[in-house]
Amino acid sequence: MNGRQADEGTTYPPELGERRRPAFAVRNPRVIGLLIAIFLVGMSFSIVNPNFLTVRNMLGMVRAMSSLGLLALGLTLVIIVGELDLSIGAIYGFTAMLAGTVWIDGVHVVPALLIGLGAGVFVGFLNAALTTWAGIPSFIVTLGMLNAVEGMTLLISGARGINPKYAEPPVPAGEWDIFRALGATKLPLDIPVQVVWLAGLAVLFWVLLHRTLFGFRLAAIGSNPPAARAARLSITRHKFIVFMLGGAMAAAAGMLDFSFLGSTDPSAGRSLLFPVFAAVIVGGATLTGGRATIIGTIVGALLLSVLSNGLSIIGVGAFAKSIFIGTATIGAVMLDRFTYRKRARPGQAP
Amino acid sequence: MTAAARPESALRLMVRDLQKAYGPTQALAGLTLDITGGEFLGVAGPNGAGKSTLMRMISGEEEPDSGEMVLNGATWSPARSETRVPVVHQEAMLFPDLTVAENLLVGGRGNGLARRPVPGPAHYDILRSLGITRDADRELGECSLVVRQLTEIARALAHATDAQIFLFDEPNSALTEEESAELFARMRALSDAGNIVILVSHRLNELAHVADRVIVVRDGLLGADLSGEALTEERLAREMVMGETAPVPESVSRRSGVRILQDDSALTVRAWRHSGGSFEVEELAVRAREIVAVVGVEGSGGREFVRSLAGLEEATGETSLPRRSLQPTSYLPADRGESLFGDFDVGRSLVARLGRGRIAGVGGLLKRRTMARLGERYMQEFRVRAASVAQPIGDLSGGNQQKVAIASALAERPDVLLLEEPTRGVDVGSKVEIYRILRTFTDHGGSVVAYCTEIPEVFELADRAVVMARGRITGELNVTDHGDIGSLAEAVAQHSGGATSALESAAGVDASRGRA
Repeated sequence: MNGRQADEGTTYPPELGERRRPAFAVRNPRVIGLLIAIFLVGMSFSIVNPNFLTVRNMLGMVRAMSSLGLLALGLTLVIIVGELDLSIGAIYGFTAMLAGTVWIDGVHVVPALLIGLGAGVFVGFLNAALTTWAGIPSFIVTLGMLNAVEGMTLLISGARGINPKYAEPPVPAGEWDIFRALGATKLPLDIPVQVVWLAGLAVLFWVLLHRTLFGFRLAAIGSNPPAARAARLSITRHKFIVFMLGGAMAAAAGMLDFSFLGSTDPSAGRSLLFPVFAAVIVGGATLTGGRATIIGTIVGALLLSVLSNGLSIIGVGAFAKSIFIGTATIGAVMLDRFTYRKRARPGQAP
Repeated sequence: MTAAARPESALRLMVRDLQKAYGPTQALAGLTLDITGGEFLGVAGPNGAGKSTLMRMISGEEEPDSGEMVLNGATWSPARSETRVPVVHQEAMLFPDLTVAENLLVGGRGNGLARRPVPGPAHYDILRSLGITRDADRELGECSLVVRQLTEIARALAHATDAQIFLFDEPNSALTEEESAELFARMRALSDAGNIVILVSHRLNELAHVADRVIVVRDGLLGADLSGEALTEERLAREMVMGETAPVPESVSRRSGVRILQDDSALTVRAWRHSGGSFEVEELAVRAREIVAVVGVEGSGGREFVRSLAGLEEATGETSLPRRSLQPTSYLPADRGESLFGDFDVGRSLVARLGRGRIAGVGGLLKRRTMARLGERYMQEFRVRAASVAQPIGDLSGGNQQKVAIASALAERPDVLLLEEPTRGVDVGSKVEIYRILRTFTDHGGSVVAYCTEIPEVFELADRAVVMARGRITGELNVTDHGDIGSLAEAVAQHSGGATSALESAAGVDASRGRA
């Protein structure tokens, strides 16, 4: 068998010319459509209110988008493998509250944040265990987990918000600086550090999903679980990893926002669930699994942020904003249904 | 034939020159058939020969392109007729959370605002006539399969009290022998009452035993019409494959010149027993360079047996295979909907099963150029006809999809390839290519175990046929010993017989055979 291995060494014939493309060329029609939509929406907002298209507002907007983006990155992997995670918003709030609470109780800030991150991974582990080992649909598992984790948040916080700097006793000043540096630093050109976190992790997730065997198999498993079983891909292991990564990303997002704001309260993250799902779905992922892209998710998150920010700036009010964004999400998916023909799937002839 | 031939019943269905095409495929090519009331008609035929299409015409699910049906002298279109033709399927299409009696009400008249309907005396009468009164108020999901299937008949009767034609499409493939006998007795009662009962089955021994007359549908035409003395299992087996000629006279297996080494075992199982009770195999030894066909109808345990070798069905016993290991076997299900990844293009599909060392290197990073190159290479090697490796897999023809599926499994370089019905729903040209691909694989030292339901496939593909019936190996034969498909079909039929004792003794079945 080793004799045959040789023909797959590391020297390749040159690539065919027609497949040569610039590395970052966007060829996903969905992404192009979204970019056009973002441009048009942005134009409209800036006509109504010139304050929309200012450097200051743009930077604030991408800052606010970063936690949405981090959650969406984690959710993208969960969705491509064919599962759902409704608990990410709850994990976001819980881990921030947990880290803050143990920090105030005297634990050093670094282990405190690691405890928060570990808690996020652990909730992801529970989600995966119940989904794979117990065979309960992830919709139910994570819906239950959402409630349970929110309950935990209220329990450890006593339903009160925390602000470590003004706690009794306050956290050490040195630790406070480390903490604030993570999420509230302004880089040169006034770029918020959270944007760098998002960009870095987006690249990492892009490599993971589109350039590793792991990502390739996630797409295979989500595309057709019975075929994955026949091919003996390790479905359970892959699901554990994506749920745990999802939990980690939710924890990271929660704690970075905590760091930026300097305080957190038990309701943090509750309003995130919808925009996160909307970003991933608008970005082209199918809830049945198998199809999703990182670039789509990021651009989807951007569109939602633009809408959210722009609607606030032109002052339509929170209620109208909510109605508009909900409708726009459904509209985007509907447009998709009508524009693309249904792809033929392999199977028996009638 | 005149109507006077059956004075006891006026019912008479004439099918005249029925034609139906699906795209380029001619499913029915001018089929003509006469059926009279009181007759229990069996329908046999290879997959894709047109028997399902014929059934869909008679039940009114589809309309013919040309030709007509005449019922009692008048042109009849079941799709537009008041009288429905009840069809009982392999999987009863009912509502498991309702009771048996309530199932009869679904689809009845009324509107959504009306009170929840309650089964009336008429419904219980129907259940009584079918002998399932005692299950009337149980939830259907808790009832046995026979009861579920009888409920389907009952439901049809409740909606079409004047139904005279009943279709049964493989109704008993999931039933035990005793349950089958019971179902056949009920069906016989229906035909004795003057109705037309039509049974479609792959189980030739059953057809030969329970039906008055059996027709064999071949290539969209009436291939044979057997009754009385001529109606035997062996004759049916031969008629099924009549006209089938070897598409590859040269390159079939045993003529390739490679000898199978007797003691070079690739895979052995002993006392191999399915945890779900579907099979119990004393011993099977697969040699290197050999293609073994496990032959059996649905429910024979053959499919489950092959799946168990892949570790996808729980089984216990002795085996030379490490359980659930990645090597040395690769497995491919029959349905391409379960073997291919619909979101992938051709190139990715071809390498989808490969792992680290083949398509990924350090840190699990994909070797994308290797993937592309392997995709191109497999596409050529396995003669996949696609515009390019970038074409979505769903756009290919069934035959090319199957070539991709087989290529992706062979890419794993297994010692033993496990397959189910490797050429199901595949055009003739692709069939030949698939047989060649598999033969090339064994010529290079591999072995193949394939679950097959069609004799021509066994004839073309296999060196050895292992016949399974009722979960056991009932015979083994050397395919090389048979010069033509017909003789192989007869031999397989002989080996799979002998499991019909309960059928023969079933009440009402033997007694009414005389009328044929």
